[in-house]
Amino acid sequence: MKLEKGEISSSQLMLLVGSFLQGGLLSLSFAYAISRQDTWLAVLAALFIGLLFALVYIALANRFPGKTLMQINDLIFGPFLGKLVSIQYLYLFISSLSVYLWFIGDFVLTYLMPETPIILIMIMFSLLCAYAVRQGIEVIARICFIAIIVTSLVILITFALLIKDMKYTYFLPIFEVPIGELIQSTHIIMHVSFSEVLVFLMVIPYMNKPKQTKKSVLLGMLIGGLGLLTATIRNIAALGPLSAIVTSPSLESVRLIDIGKVITRLEVLVAMAQILLLFIITSVLYYAVVLGIAQITKLRSYKPLVLPIGIFAITLSLISYESSMQLRYSTRYITPIFTVWFYFILPLLSLLVAKLRKLPK
Amino acid sequence: MGVMLRYLTSKLKYLKLVNQYYATNQKNQAPSQDEKTPTSLTQNLTTNLEILNGFIGNNFDLVIRKFTFGEHRQTNAALVYLNGMTDQTMINESILKPLLFESVPNSNPASNHSVIEMITMTMLSVAEIKKRTLIQDIVEGYLSGETILLVDGSPEALVIMTSDWKSRSITDPKTESVVRGPREGFIENLLTNTTLIRRKIKSSDLVFESMKIGERTKTTVCIAYIKDIANPLLIEEIKRRLKDIKTDSILESGIVEQYIEDAPFSIFSTIANTEKPDLAAAKILEGRAAILVDGTPFVLTVPMVFIESFQSSEDYYSRPYFASIIRMFRYLAYMLSILAPATYVALTTYHQELIPTALLFSMSAAQEGVPFPVLVEALGMGVIFEILREAGVRLPRPVGQAVSIVGALVIGESAVSAGLIGAPMVIVVALTAIASFVVPAQTDSGGILRAIFTVLAGFSGGFGIMVGLIGVSIHLASLRSFGTPYLSPLAPLSVPDLKDTFIRAPLWAMITRPRTIGWHDPKRQEFRLKPGPPSEEDASSN
Amino acid sequence: MKHLNKLVTTLLIFILLTLGTTGCWNRRELPSLAIVLGVGLDKMEDSDQLEMTTQIIKTSELKASTPEESGAGGSGGAGAYWNVRNSGETVFSTTRDFTHKVSRKLYFPHNQLIIFGSSLAEQGVQEHLDFFLRDQETRLEVFVLVADDRASDIFDVKPRLEKVPSMKIAELMDAQAANSTTSIVRLNQFATRLMSDTTAPIAPIIEVLGKGNERELSVKGTAVFKEDKLIGQLNKVETRGLLWVIDRIKSGIIDVNCRDTIVSLEIIRAQGKISSEIIDGQPYIKIEIKEDGNIASQCCPIDLVSPNAVAELEELQAEAIKAEIQAALRKAQKLNADIFGFGDIIHQRHPKEWQELKDDWDEIFPDLDVEIIVEAKLRRSGSLGQPVVLDKEQ
Repeated sequence: MKLEKGEISSSQLMLLVGSFLQGGLLSLSFAYAISRQDTWLAVLAALFIGLLFALVYIALANRFPGKTLMQINDLIFGPFLGKLVSIQYLYLFISSLSVYLWFIGDFVLTYLMPETPIILIMIMFSLLCAYAVRQGIEVIARICFIAIIVTSLVILITFALLIKDMKYTYFLPIFEVPIGELIQSTHIIMHVSFSEVLVFLMVIPYMNKPKQTKKSVLLGMLIGGLGLLTATIRNIAALGPLSAIVTSPSLESVRLIDIGKVITRLEVLVAMAQILLLFIITSVLYYAVVLGIAQITKLRSYKPLVLPIGIFAITLSLISYESSMQLRYSTRYITPIFTVWFYFILPLLSLLVAKLRKLPK
Repeated sequence: MGVMLRYLTSKLKYLKLVNQYYATNQKNQAPSQDEKTPTSLTQNLTTNLEILNGFIGNNFDLVIRKFTFGEHRQTNAALVYLNGMTDQTMINESILKPLLFESVPNSNPASNHSVIEMITMTMLSVAEIKKRTLIQDIVEGYLSGETILLVDGSPEALVIMTSDWKSRSITDPKTESVVRGPREGFIENLLTNTTLIRRKIKSSDLVFESMKIGERTKTTVCIAYIKDIANPLLIEEIKRRLKDIKTDSILESGIVEQYIEDAPFSIFSTIANTEKPDLAAAKILEGRAAILVDGTPFVLTVPMVFIESFQSSEDYYSRPYFASIIRMFRYLAYMLSILAPATYVALTTYHQELIPTALLFSMSAAQEGVPFPVLVEALGMGVIFEILREAGVRLPRPVGQAVSIVGALVIGESAVSAGLIGAPMVIVVALTAIASFVVPAQTDSGGILRAIFTVLAGFSGGFGIMVGLIGVSIHLASLRSFGTPYLSPLAPLSVPDLKDTFIRAPLWAMITRPRTIGWHDPKRQEFRLKPGPPSEEDASSN
Repeated sequence: MKHLNKLVTTLLIFILLTLGTTGCWNRRELPSLAIVLGVGLDKMEDSDQLEMTTQIIKTSELKASTPEESGAGGSGGAGAYWNVRNSGETVFSTTRDFTHKVSRKLYFPHNQLIIFGSSLAEQGVQEHLDFFLRDQETRLEVFVLVADDRASDIFDVKPRLEKVPSMKIAELMDAQAANSTTSIVRLNQFATRLMSDTTAPIAPIIEVLGKGNERELSVKGTAVFKEDKLIGQLNKVETRGLLWVIDRIKSGIIDVNCRDTIVSLEIIRAQGKISSEIIDGQPYIKIEIKEDGNIASQCCPIDLVSPNAVAELEELQAEAIKAEIQAALRKAQKLNADIFGFGDIIHQRHPKEWQELKDDWDEIFPDLDVEIIVEAKLRRSGSLGQPVVLDKEQ
């Protein structure tokens, strides 16, 4: 029995990955404080390392075509141990989901409506995501096209309009940041953005042309990575040292655009794009969690799970984080360490065990 | 399991409702019983007439003309027809005259069977004549304006095509006026409408398949498509859905639409309609199917995609640059019509920092002293606008315009000067109103969306608008119209079809039919059709 | 049926949630806002407290009043604006304290200016800037100015053309591009300089001229900060010298002496470039200026068609520019404030050497070796080839 009836094409997977990664724009601000004017280097490095990681995930997916991460775990580690591994992954996905729910709440509160209780923003937003998840991955993938067009246009337009305010000297001196901090920053960017491609192991099985998986995912990552890079360069060149201290460099840099007092206050575009991208990320994570649980418990439909999981994720994010400062701290110093296990060690281990056991037979 | 249970409970509810009625009104059930058992004609004319009378009843427009004919006036016969639905001249000249004044050649009284045959073959100068024995068939023919010829001693009746009734002449379509392009519009007569399409597409592959829907109205519904372009699965699906309609009346194509659409709960219509034969023909040529319903000038076309609302027949008749620009403006106008009041509300109540300073001054000054919150103003003005519009449409034309203009002027002008509403709000609502008419196909969904967005903006500002936009996108992306994704060619993306989405590419560049609709036979035209003066090579060779 | 029920329930829940709860916390109708157009920060005369002046627009009067009418009223409350003063410990607490005096909520996003009183600026401005950088209502492109005396006085001067003094000052700032003798500094630029280890923040100085109803506002020169404290000022010539170097010259007039007459040359386009070198551990700065000019007015009896005459004028022009830069440099070195950002240049180009120079920069800067190269060109002579005077003299 197939839980998901929809199918996505290779180009849709590409756009899905691309917009998923571009959504890291907001969380990139965590890295600015550490690597300052060298952040673009960290983004570039993270992109390349991310591509390497993705190769591992794709190898895993190609070894078991048509199987999601949860089913792959069952095949590799056996039904019992496999479930244990799957539950770990699920924990990762659901905690990421709750982080992103907090992000959206935090974002709206900081820039749009400071006095509104965060839970209401989260409820509105997760209802929206729940609607999308219920419609299936096909619908989410279709919206991605709109999302990527909107965000790419926003990034390009703001980049073009900011060119006259940009100072390339802000990038100098290159490599001034100690290498340790650069690695830390790269690691944070990996953690908040590129390594989350892992979640697509839940989506890839529903692609209609499995042979093009590699191409689609890698191209998608390049699109997303280039988007992030462009935005990072824009922010550093326009804001200079200020980019390290403001909470959302993208928004602040776009605020500087003022062309003849007419084309100005474009941060609303950035905010719109940001909400759209966060929606894509949250929906994909949400979908992965719901589908994963349905597959582990062998349900016939994942739809009954959608609302309970949403409520659970909101509760989790409210318990986990009390303030945006705390989230900033934990994203910088705590979570990157323990997610290495999920993003790097577990998939590699899975691939290794699969090779040793000569799976699939 | 759940689906079955749900089906059963709703079925039981329905039966209970119907049976309650019949239990109290036993006698009403009787006539419908009769119609179901087929009755044949007898040899006797008087009996036949009596049977017929039993079905038709005493109607003032019923005409039964009894006469005798043959060499010795030995054969009794009767013509039965409906006055007003038949062509009197035709009955007089082509049926009665030959029968009364000419002799039946080689008439053989021994075989009555051949009398009918003889009459058909030699005497009646009418093109379409059918032989029928079942009363039900005969009555159906009679009801649609055909003349019944009953001959004594024959168990068969001739159903002679004499239908002709007064109908409107072909005029400008009222809902879709054009500056350039054909000015004829469909009318209420189905045959005229099929003719209008046939005249545009003179192809033997153009098929009109008809069926009768509506147990009491017996409305003719006709599916038009081109055999080798339209996807056979699409035609099958349309036929299946049409056949499933079990209702008593079909009065307009809008009723058919509501029985066969994919998403009955959606505010978006998934079936397009048009009043223009050229538009219908163009859609048929793209691989769509048209559904023509007798009695209405509105022809349905399926499948419909969202962007179809933004295309107009004129786009293809004018040159591509202007057509493309105008199309962009249509998208802009649509966005404006659904988002302008919401944006205004969000800006003035939540995001004042986004208003340019100089503009903020004047807006703020205009809003000073207005007693209502902006949201209430926006919704109130929206309601007033809808009422004015409705009044303008319903009232007799000269009065209607006066009412809407005076109403708008008086309400707008004096409400502002009395300080009840801010002047910018009047501008926004007026702008919205005009913009909403630019895309007629989405006017009704646009109105609902506008209200939803305004409320969302009033309660959570820009975030609310964004949530609404994403929600509408999800909804649009999940819709399908007869198997075609509603948002195609945007989502799922089909790059070759973008040639006719935001821009209108030159006609010679539109080589293929829309991929999601006409992919059954993609080739529309030859590859190298770009016009131009003869190239030098051609000239030298000549 | 069931489907419909479900749809209706979902919609109802959604509508109830949105209607009943979200956002109402943040609803602000336009008439409930006190739109702040300018903020002045002063030190209280008798205590160490902060005195904050905010200029609020009176929207109801905007349409009716003209500047002349507004001139009739007393100070503070006349015309389309209202200057409210309040004192407190920090900017934020003072801002909130305004609720005792203003019935509407102060609304900062349209703020055009922050003016520091000179006595406050001498004490340091950093702690006061934090609010303007951190709060989500404030924007980074606010103009930063320093008042010659007290900031609150500036807001009381009635503008002749505009309705609100703050708007007038903001437009005045925009107009300064025409002569390029005032540095125009926005908050993000000020903060960027403040964050740098060496570069000194600058801000234009605004002063009140005249008395009573004849009072006028005027921009003069540039205030120079060391870290966040005001330590001195540049006059107009020195300011332009600074602007040449930091590549902020848009337009302007250079007067040069030519055979006892004054020739005015208009700056069409200018480009300033700083480069650095380290020779024997000693930093060395090279300033290159490229300038294109037109002749705006001249009575000098030379024939401009001859290449020599043009070359002579070009030479004079280059000399004038160089003199301006040298004046600025002398002042900066005297104040020991690196307004040009030389330190950052060296930091960017020579990050390794910089580690050693960094701590001693205050000693190095006053004696820094700076080479100035000016390349000035004249492109057009206007619609006259020769001055009218020339004919008369012949």
